[in-house]
Amino acid sequence: MAEPGIPQAAELPQPAAVANPLLAAFLAWLVPGAGHLMLRRAARAGLFFVVVLVSLAIGCSLHGNLYTPVAGQPLTYLATLGCMGLGLPYFILRYLVGYHGDVVSAGFEYGTAFVLTAGLMNLLLVLDAWDIASGKKD
Amino acid sequence: MLSHFLLMVVYGLLVSVFFTALWRRQRREQVVLFLQLFLGMVGGGLLAAWLMYPFPSGPPAPIP
Repeated sequence: MAEPGIPQAAELPQPAAVANPLLAAFLAWLVPGAGHLMLRRAARAGLFFVVVLVSLAIGCSLHGNLYTPVAGQPLTYLATLGCMGLGLPYFILRYLVGYHGDVVSAGFEYGTAFVLTAGLMNLLLVLDAWDIASGKKD
Repeated sequence: MLSHFLLMVVYGLLVSVFFTALWRRQRREQVVLFLQLFLGMVGGGLLAAWLMYPFPSGPPAPIP
């Protein structure tokens, strides 16, 4: 039962959107930091761009795995989604550069951790850009 | 670049910087969170390594 005098969720003022959340999220996914740049958070955008791409570069230099789905191994589907979180860099590496990683390389496991982390960090940036564009977050 | 410790420190640094910029806005709060994350990850890694030290490493894993 609702308490008198306490506003219910439907009565609370909704935050005003400051930009198109869908566009901000798409740009954030496409290029790390681009969503924040669109939302006029240039310093944060630059920092995110550098952090995600440095993580990816280290992962590739260690020959880490850029996941693709493997039939019969469900976790590779999740890992592929994580890597695809990188947006454009994933597709450039996969289809233009032809990068796959090297399973016999000494740095393979470490490199995979760096590559996957870069993708997951960018997915968090997509959510952050969505929240900022929706006016739910500064 | 294949030093386990160096890679752990670099990884901790990148992740700590990322979450600090994502979650905090005030400079003092950023410093506190960065130190918590970075020292937590590096210190936690060293602690786990120290706890595992008595266990034998075993033969190398076969290459698939």
